[in-house]
Amino acid sequence: MIRTPLRPLARILDARAKGENPDAIERENIRIRHEQMRDKLRMRAESRLLVLALAFVVAYGAVGARMGLLAASEPAEPVTVASGASILAQRSDIVDRRGRILATNMDTYSLYAQPQHMIEPLRAAKELARVFPDLDEETLAKQFTGGRKFVWIKKKISPEQYQAVHDIGSPGLLFGPREMRLYPNGALASHILGGASFGREGVHAAEVIGVAGVEKTFDDFLRDPANNGAPLELSIDLTVQAAVERVLYGGMKLLNAKGAAAVLMDVHTGEVLSLASLPDFDPNDRPRPPVAGDGQTQDDSPLFNRAVQGVYELGSTFKIFAVAQAMELGLVNPDTMIDTRGPLTWGKHRIRDFHNYGNELSATTVIVKSSNIGTARIAQMIGVDRQKDFLESLGLFQPTPLEMLEAKGGQPLLPPNWSELSTMTISYGHGMSATPLHLATGYAAIANGGRMIKPTLLKQAAPQEGTRVMRPEVAARSRAMLRKVVTEGTASFGEVPGYAVAGKTGTADKPKPRGGGYYKDKVIATFATMFPAYDPKYVLIVTLDEPVETSGSEPRRTAGWTAVPVAAEMITRIAPLLGLRPEIEPGELAGITLTSN
Amino acid sequence: MSYLEYNVKHVPAGFRKVMYLHWPLALLLAAVAGVGFLMLYSVAGGDVSRWAEPQIKRFAVGFVLMMAVAMVPAWFWRNISGVAYGVTILLLLAVEFFGAIGMGAQRWIDLGFMRLQPSELAKITTVMMLAAYYDWLPMARVSRPLWVAVPVGIILLPTYLTLRQPDLGTALLLMLGGAIVLFMAGVHWLYFAVVIAAAVGTVWAVFESRGTDWQLLKDYQFRRIDTFLDPSQDPLGAGYHITQSKIALGSGGWTGRGFMQGTQSRLNFLPEKHTDFIFTTLAEEFGFVGAVSLLGLYALIIVFCVVTAVQNRDRFSSLMTLGIASAFFLYFAINMSMVMGLAPVVGVPLPLVSYGGSAMLVLMVAFGLVQSAHVHRPR
Repeated sequence: MIRTPLRPLARILDARAKGENPDAIERENIRIRHEQMRDKLRMRAESRLLVLALAFVVAYGAVGARMGLLAASEPAEPVTVASGASILAQRSDIVDRRGRILATNMDTYSLYAQPQHMIEPLRAAKELARVFPDLDEETLAKQFTGGRKFVWIKKKISPEQYQAVHDIGSPGLLFGPREMRLYPNGALASHILGGASFGREGVHAAEVIGVAGVEKTFDDFLRDPANNGAPLELSIDLTVQAAVERVLYGGMKLLNAKGAAAVLMDVHTGEVLSLASLPDFDPNDRPRPPVAGDGQTQDDSPLFNRAVQGVYELGSTFKIFAVAQAMELGLVNPDTMIDTRGPLTWGKHRIRDFHNYGNELSATTVIVKSSNIGTARIAQMIGVDRQKDFLESLGLFQPTPLEMLEAKGGQPLLPPNWSELSTMTISYGHGMSATPLHLATGYAAIANGGRMIKPTLLKQAAPQEGTRVMRPEVAARSRAMLRKVVTEGTASFGEVPGYAVAGKTGTADKPKPRGGGYYKDKVIATFATMFPAYDPKYVLIVTLDEPVETSGSEPRRTAGWTAVPVAAEMITRIAPLLGLRPEIEPGELAGITLTSN
Repeated sequence: MSYLEYNVKHVPAGFRKVMYLHWPLALLLAAVAGVGFLMLYSVAGGDVSRWAEPQIKRFAVGFVLMMAVAMVPAWFWRNISGVAYGVTILLLLAVEFFGAIGMGAQRWIDLGFMRLQPSELAKITTVMMLAAYYDWLPMARVSRPLWVAVPVGIILLPTYLTLRQPDLGTALLLMLGGAIVLFMAGVHWLYFAVVIAAAVGTVWAVFESRGTDWQLLKDYQFRRIDTFLDPSQDPLGAGYHITQSKIALGSGGWTGRGFMQGTQSRLNFLPEKHTDFIFTTLAEEFGFVGAVSLLGLYALIIVFCVVTAVQNRDRFSSLMTLGIASAFFLYFAINMSMVMGLAPVVGVPLPLVSYGGSAMLVLMVAFGLVQSAHVHRPR
């Protein structure tokens, strides 16, 4: 900074020469310098003030603009984005073939506690224990006073309980919305529906997941929001299912059976109209699966589905397959005489009949009288390979393709070595195990004129094409034989006035667990039937586990005394429900015949 | 030593001073306080006795206090500013120690008739101290590092003590207000540039360090920042105030719902509705127009202060007036930004409107100082 000197020498000398006071020059210069300093400071102060003013204006502008934006905005409550809100989507209903609700949802609440907000934790614990008798007051009190921030109390509560807890009035007791799966018909169709439970669980929502039955199989469909609430339509008919279960339950109790199963299937569409397995359970309160070591085998669990999971030797019901195949192959016709001299020996094995039927019987009579020897002879004619092919074509080698998780468990048990002996025993239903549903599909092929169809639980719009496994004439002749079983043979109790029933009984001794032969006094009694016999629309399989009929002098266990009357009662009840009109059958009336296997 | 000399003979004396008060400023203060009374009456649901009445009484006391302070010559205030600052620091220390003994965050000292918050007092005395310091300091030394360090210390000492209480809002006000006085006193702009750059760098480093091993803040602190930046993430938790006050502002619209018609604030959706968040009630009931009007009143107060400061040739008076005006500005700017979600929620009341004794009295005393500077300005 170049400064002008306060006493510039030239001017001082000049002034002195003029006789002026040089101090005046200095004073003048000091004044000018002070003015310059003041100007500079003012400049600086003013520029600073300008900067500050600018900051004020910017701040004002920001506040004002924000205010304008907010004033222009629509006031909206913020939408709570709680974790798990997306899983509150409605699970689709499940309905029967006529749209009646089988499974639906109910809004309910879960109950949890935040003890730090509780005013009187001990009173809350006491009141809660009163509302929920299964809760322990002391445990609750310990939880509420132990410094925990969060305590689950109940996963789901009823509306009455909700009100009661609300009335306790503790601010630390909180409710989370829950969507609960509800089965309004209780245990009805429980094995088909399976059940659901909570998956991922949060305070605000819980995921409902299918754990068994169609709930599990169609879990993805039921949860898919794209369905827009469209229900899952099953092939089941609720009223028929109710009647089947009712009759089956009565029969099981009356005949002291420990379990029972029934399958009713439309022979053209493959729709399963009813499927029952006893004992059953309430899917609203699904029992725990049996655990190893509690003395319960899996078969005894109410969760076990005998109709699709249980593989049994189905006995004489298989005989019609051997005879039908032999007719298909042209080896026999209904009147061909078959050698029935017993016992039939193969190696060290002997095949016997229940009664001695003489030297020979016609093929029809072999079925009607249920001759093991006669069937075995026919099986010998067919041979190992052809029998295997035929049974496989009937779907008896694979688990049934029913849309249930449990169906995959119904893997038929086949002999490891398929010898000629196996062929002979399998022809009358021993040495090979399958589920009642397998039997239903096999019989459906005979009933519908020879086409193999797939069983399904979904409502179908049209009959299935199916692959042909036998000629229609063969199927018709087989049906005539089965009709005679009812009119003249082992299933005489199966006659239902007005509805012509055809069918075949089967009584198989139960194998002892872990090998070691068969029980003498425990059987699986099965009646495989189709109606109306001359143009069958439905196949019905009734299987009883360890039935015994004790009205006679000695206990009777054969299917003719057990499964057949139950099936007949069932048909009496369900045929009108299915819209079948009773018909008076042409021809002679059936008399009561001696029943046998 | 001021670079301007007083000419005491031209300064009014005795009761004539009342004539020379800055009456427009006093009336403006009364008008803003009046808005506050209306709002407190409305928030209380038409109940005068709950908040409005004590507030009116306090304002009356404050107004008298302002007059009394205005009567005392500005040079007296300059001469005692060192003592006032020292007493404030002692009071802050006292709060620090007694607060510690009392096992809690105690911000006030009970004087019997009112609870005095030394941190409120610090806002004035720090500004006074700085103004007196620059009044004394020759201009040539203003930007010398050592002579800059002294006022920085003057600011940081009460700031630190306030931060310890902890009272982030007041600490922020102290620091920013002090910085503005420094800026106006003519400290070289490079100092400010360096400080601002350092602050920006620190913020950048804090955000950059997130998720790394040398993370500078705790995770929960980051979450608070997140919530500030996006309150909708946690509308029922930390973002609650902001979300609700935004709804109130939004529902007010342009002209508002009308006096006593505000729902959002009166239905108890808002916490602190009569103190820090009272602006939302105003915005809801009188809308954008009402809110901007209040903003205009505040702006006029600032403008009057700045004008008198610029006209005042006494360096102490000028700087103190500017310091008080900027503290006042920061007060309502931070409060409104907070309410509107532009700034994080720190406890800063809306000056003269929010319910509260300490802040009101301290503010009136501060405006008394402004009046005193105005009355006793060299002519």
